[in-house]
Amino acid sequence: MYHTGSFIRGRSLVHRLDPRVKLSAALVFSIFILWVKPSLALASGVILLFPVLISDISLRTLVQAIKPLLFLIVLIFMVHVFFSDGSGEAPGGQTFHGLSFSRTGFQEAFWVVWRFLCLMVAAILLTMTTAPSQMIAAVKYFLKPLKKVRVPVDELAVMLLLALKLMPILLTEKERIETAQKSRGYDASRSGWVTRLKSFSHLTSKILTGVFRRADELALAMDARNFRRGERSSLAELKLTSSDYIVMGLLIFFLIIFVALNSHFG
Amino acid sequence: MLIRLEDVYYTYETEGIEALRGVSLQIQEGEHLAIIGPNGCGKTTLIRHLNALLLPARGNVTVDGLKTDHPKHQAEIRAQIGMVFQNPDHQIVGMTVEEDVAFGPENLRLPSDEIKKRVTEAMSRAGIAKLAGRGIENLSGGEKRLVAIAGVLAMRPRFIALDEPTAFLDPAAAGRVLDMIDRLHAEGVGIIHITHNMAEAALTQRVVVMREGRILLDGTPPEIFGKAAMLKQSGMQLPQITELLLELKEAGWPVRTDIVHMKDALDQIIALTGKKQG
Repeated sequence: MYHTGSFIRGRSLVHRLDPRVKLSAALVFSIFILWVKPSLALASGVILLFPVLISDISLRTLVQAIKPLLFLIVLIFMVHVFFSDGSGEAPGGQTFHGLSFSRTGFQEAFWVVWRFLCLMVAAILLTMTTAPSQMIAAVKYFLKPLKKVRVPVDELAVMLLLALKLMPILLTEKERIETAQKSRGYDASRSGWVTRLKSFSHLTSKILTGVFRRADELALAMDARNFRRGERSSLAELKLTSSDYIVMGLLIFFLIIFVALNSHFG
Repeated sequence: MLIRLEDVYYTYETEGIEALRGVSLQIQEGEHLAIIGPNGCGKTTLIRHLNALLLPARGNVTVDGLKTDHPKHQAEIRAQIGMVFQNPDHQIVGMTVEEDVAFGPENLRLPSDEIKKRVTEAMSRAGIAKLAGRGIENLSGGEKRLVAIAGVLAMRPRFIALDEPTAFLDPAAAGRVLDMIDRLHAEGVGIIHITHNMAEAALTQRVVVMREGRILLDGTPPEIFGKAAMLKQSGMQLPQITELLLELKEAGWPVRTDIVHMKDALDQIIALTGKKQG
């Protein structure tokens, strides 16, 4: 079963990179894409295609991963089209069912959606090419200094692992309950909104009950395998290789160029 | 190594169910023990006491002299007695096979090299080396069960307690799990095995029968299954071989009914009929 953001095992260069490099690159890229001018955001998005293409992750899989968030993308687009003020534009904007929209609104909506898509692709590429254990090891590495101020870094890392594990469990549980409802004749498309609402609240309570039960069992199973608060070691061994240094060099190079271009055009 | 339960009582407070009522039991190093009994008789509660997941309300549980209710002993006890839950989905923590198998050794704070070594060894012992990088959600029920067992093996326990390890599995997958349990026992690992399958219980060295939170019978499989009337009265079935011999006895054949292995039963029938081909 495939779920958005699931790790897909592979041997590509992107897969083999140190998770700390990938995580830092994704973070820097995310801040950068929100900060730069539209033309540079477009160029950054195009550059993002390069790691996607060499990652062994097919474009089809990527599109499949984005699909569940399509509704959100459309919503963001519409909000910007209809609610941006269009200041500085000549009067005479169009109206649609009483809502006015302008060329500026369209432009703004396009760039917001573009930036949002770039963020999503970067996040999906990161999670699809990095095993959860590697990701957690990287997060732990970056949070390590916080141990000095008594932040429970190891516990946070385990919580992250469990949160990642919970996503597919929630989806599986939802599918299981929906199948059970369908098998007893419930058809959402033929039901009124009251019935749908009732069914939704039933579904939510069932999912929550199931997840809490699973969480209890899992806590017991973790105890049985000697889980204790405090430091844990890790299967994932973090080691920077020559590819990591090359990629870091390239990233810094692009970052300097883009920052310079951004200030030049600003 | 010795596991000792002395007059153990346990009550689930929220449900008000008294699950164990004065259980006393000793389990020796390397023993292969089956625990049988109807649903709700306290089998799972009993084995959860062995590695301090549950602590007795009254009585004592000790492992190698270490009391389970002493917080300082619990980590040591849990490393020595591995627990395989009935539903592997409730036990598996990692998202890939090797990550899950590594969870226990990571908790033992072993260095990365040692974890890798143990993970490879445990997966190979469980016969799942080829599944190493697979996502848990893509595994079959039988494979998940083997992953759960490998996760316990990676901690190199001296005992493994398994709660109905063949439940919900098809015969082929159940056979693989049972073969692995036999291999582990042959390697010297003690096995405590809860089952509803009497044929599985018959293959162990010792059978403990539970009923309503108490130990009803404790003995070798022939001793236990020789008490057919008592078992049936307690709502339990008998191994098919024992059933067959009982039917033959009822039909007037002078057969022993305390036999649980196919070969012994065949030898007896052949001796009685005097017919043997080849």
